[in-house]
Amino acid sequence: MKMTTRIAFDNMRYHKSRNILIGIALILTTLLLFVVPTVGRGMIKLQYAVTDRLYPAWHALYRNVDEETVGELAAHHDISRYGLRGDAGDMNLDKASVAMLYVDEAGLELYKMTLAEGDIPRQEDEIVVSQGILKELGQQGDIDDTITVPYQIYRGGGLDYTQQKEFRICGFFEDSETNLEKHVYTALVSEAFLRNEIPEDEITYRFLLQIADEDNPTITEIEDRIKSIAGQFGIPEDDININDDYLAANYVDPVTVPVIILIMGIIVLAGVITIYSIYYVSMNQRIQEFGRMKAIGATRRQIRQIVLREGLCIAAFTVPAGLLAGTLISRAVMKVFVSFDSPKDSLYSETMRAVFEEGEVSLWCWRVYLLAATVTLCTVYFSLVRPMHVAAKVSEVEAMRMQNAGRKQKSRRKGYEFLTIARLTRRNLTENKKKSAVTILAMAVTGVFLMVVATVLSCADPRESANSSILGQYEISPVEELGNKEHPEREWQEIQKDNPLNEALKQQIEALPGVEKVDVFSKARIAGGTFEEEDGEALNGIPPEYAEELEKGITKGKVTYEELRSGDKVIIDSSLLRGHPKLDVGDKLNLTIRDGERSFEKEVEVAAIGSYRFGLTGYNWLIMAKEAVDRMSGYNSSEAFHVYADKEYDPELEKALADIVDASGRIQMRTWQEEFDEWNTVMPVMAGACYAFLGILAVISVMNLINTMVNSVHVRKKELGMMQAIGMSDSQLMKMLQLEGLFYTAGTLVISVGGGSLLGYPVFLYARENSLMEIRNYHYPAVAACAVSVVLLLLQIILAVGIARSVRKNSLIERIRFSE
Amino acid sequence: MKTDSSKILVVDDLVKYYGAGENLVRAVDHSSLQIERGAFTAIVGRSGSGKSTLLHLIGGLDRPDEGKVWIEGKDIFSLKDDRLAQFRRKKIGFIFQDFNLIPSLNVWENIVLPLGLDNRRVKREDVREVLEKIGLADKAETMPNALSGGQKQRTAIARALAARPAIILADEPTGNLDSQTEMEVMSLMKSCVTDFGQTLVMITHDEAIAQMADRVIEIADGKVVSD
Repeated sequence: MKMTTRIAFDNMRYHKSRNILIGIALILTTLLLFVVPTVGRGMIKLQYAVTDRLYPAWHALYRNVDEETVGELAAHHDISRYGLRGDAGDMNLDKASVAMLYVDEAGLELYKMTLAEGDIPRQEDEIVVSQGILKELGQQGDIDDTITVPYQIYRGGGLDYTQQKEFRICGFFEDSETNLEKHVYTALVSEAFLRNEIPEDEITYRFLLQIADEDNPTITEIEDRIKSIAGQFGIPEDDININDDYLAANYVDPVTVPVIILIMGIIVLAGVITIYSIYYVSMNQRIQEFGRMKAIGATRRQIRQIVLREGLCIAAFTVPAGLLAGTLISRAVMKVFVSFDSPKDSLYSETMRAVFEEGEVSLWCWRVYLLAATVTLCTVYFSLVRPMHVAAKVSEVEAMRMQNAGRKQKSRRKGYEFLTIARLTRRNLTENKKKSAVTILAMAVTGVFLMVVATVLSCADPRESANSSILGQYEISPVEELGNKEHPEREWQEIQKDNPLNEALKQQIEALPGVEKVDVFSKARIAGGTFEEEDGEALNGIPPEYAEELEKGITKGKVTYEELRSGDKVIIDSSLLRGHPKLDVGDKLNLTIRDGERSFEKEVEVAAIGSYRFGLTGYNWLIMAKEAVDRMSGYNSSEAFHVYADKEYDPELEKALADIVDASGRIQMRTWQEEFDEWNTVMPVMAGACYAFLGILAVISVMNLINTMVNSVHVRKKELGMMQAIGMSDSQLMKMLQLEGLFYTAGTLVISVGGGSLLGYPVFLYARENSLMEIRNYHYPAVAACAVSVVLLLLQIILAVGIARSVRKNSLIERIRFSE
Repeated sequence: MKTDSSKILVVDDLVKYYGAGENLVRAVDHSSLQIERGAFTAIVGRSGSGKSTLLHLIGGLDRPDEGKVWIEGKDIFSLKDDRLAQFRRKKIGFIFQDFNLIPSLNVWENIVLPLGLDNRRVKREDVREVLEKIGLADKAETMPNALSGGQKQRTAIARALAARPAIILADEPTGNLDSQTEMEVMSLMKSCVTDFGQTLVMITHDEAIAQMADRVIEIADGKVVSD
């Protein structure tokens, strides 16, 4: 072993107690550095796996593709996989809809359709059905049994007359809940059947495809390729259907990675500050040691190496320990995350749990181990840069001669006329001003961070978030979709013409027991001018009941509700500024209003900028009086019914409303309870995760407090023994140590709680401005502040007791004789 | 045992052993002695003779295996630790070989420290008088690191004197000083005994220094061999 390494190793053992503290800090740092990316990666992979399981795997499908084009497409180098689906016809049934499709094997895989039993149809008279279909047909059967099916074939652009045919069952699908509930099914027929029934020149396919992704394309690139291939074969854009859900879940997630990097950065910072401060505090004590080494011939480089290698020796023990602990903990953390249900999408959470339990996603990856280890080693290095420099700079003569080398001391100082324990304590602390400051600041950084996060978390109240995201208890709105070729009736222009939110529906709802009132919001779709690029921007017509909230929410400019009635002025919600940062009060906007088939120009002035809850804006950021918006349309522009009930949750009323919604088929409902449940499920998980993370950070920085206090007693062992010899009692010693600890605690608390509270407010404002977690109101994180204070105080008391006890372990004589 | 009120210190059959078996060290082995009020006594002995241990026991810094120590008629080992500490700061002044000043306190503060620990108000004039006496009147605000060895030891003497203890115990007080300073410090100590009517017990291995005392007790192998 090299001499420097040997010395470093011996040093590590010699300064055991301090190195144990550094070791603990390093274990925890490694642990966090491993758990955060592992869980982050695990959650992403889990989401991919769930989406993979829930959504079909094709990237896109082209409709109406003839056989010749199929052949050409299949040979395209950008397409890595393809499958075919041909629609033969529908079964003719009263209450159910059963599509009869031919899908080739690749197509079945891309659709993720699997047979519960049997095989796919190959002969002309073979069919795959489900128990649900048999029930709808009123027949029974098993594999190889024959059933009679009435059906209509697609011919000449429509469904032909009903025919009957005997089919032999060759396989079964499992029915899903949706199948049974909506009476919508799929039956598989053979290619032979398709060709037999439909004239050759009329057969068209849906061509399902996956784009070759060896070069890790982004979603946009994949979409461009899909469109470009379609262009090459003359497939019109209307005939392209892109599987957005699948693509979004499988290709590059833009936010997660930076967030993980940011969190890791914070961990590294906490680690560096703590370890540096531990070294800093005990450096003076070791100056002599390095001075001696230099005196006997160690070079600067060797001294630097000794300091660095001592740190690396500790890392050699602690990094594997941290990784091991991280390996065990990350699975537990994932399990907690997965165990929470999303009330809005229980299928998703269930699938997620299933995927996790089946172990489909492997959590641990050697790259993350390597990453955590490397980053921890970098943390050690960064923390040691300055101590290495200081140690190498020590002058041998000075270090050998003076007890307190490396520290300038005043030779005279005014003192107290008489001394008390408190004054003694003050003397010691002011004597070590820099050390005290480094310790307090190092701890306070974590404290401030904790308080800021606690502020955000305490502002995110599930009840308030729910109140903010919905007005009243129920929101009923038309089912609206932009640009869905399959459902042109869901375009706003079409909805307007026959708006399901009509007076009759309003009266029907108002008549329901428990309903207090129904507030109607309107909208007018706009395009052109400033909003040329955007789809779906709209003027939001708000009824006079909300005049006060509107005026109160104004952050810039001034306008009354009365003025908004004219239709020439708008308030814009601050969220709009994110897309249009240049918009300001006084600007004139040229809007193209779309009303049914007609559209017209209108100029409006931005009278004010405000900040409003989502419930109020409904994501329509240009706000006007309802009557002004209504005037612009020849149709019914009602966009939403906000239903206020006498109870927050009334199952009977909800059922009644749900029945109305189901019966209509054209409207949808959101409920306050759903929103509340959603937040109520999300918040504890998020808060728990944040606090657990911050808790570990706090423990890392507490190592620092322990070191400072232990060190301050260690270097003064003789001094303290001395004071005891001349009559300081044990209880006085205890009191002095408590006071010193109290000073650190008080300093840390003042900066953490004070600074954290002050800094928390602007962060709250930012969160509100950007609608993070639907935060609307400021709540001081009193619980967190109390918890931080109590924990710190307790810790310090325990520490002081422990230290005093360890001091007393040595006899007074030993302490008086003690020298390093 | 009844104590004589003229004897400020009575040591009776004191025993302190360290280690066991072959490594047993009889640091103090059945030693007894008595010291009069106002006397300057030197305890001499070679290095390892047990004189330091004896002094520590007398000062209540350590507890004996057997035997008793009375100071002003008080059996000091009957006191609990905290009580003993209080007794020490009231009745005993210490002077150590390596001064043991508190580095973060200036000269004045070092001197008044035992008073402060005892919650006694400082009589400014008394402290000034002591400072004058030791010749550090102009160094009251000086920090220990700016003092010479002799000045440090004089400060330590002042500290021992300030609380006006019943007895001052000095452990090789001149061991770290050059010969000229040594004489200065010794004469200072001696004059303090006279001027302030203090009782002083000093240990040393230096026969010449010991000769300045009123009485010399010799210790060897933990036992009093001559008086």
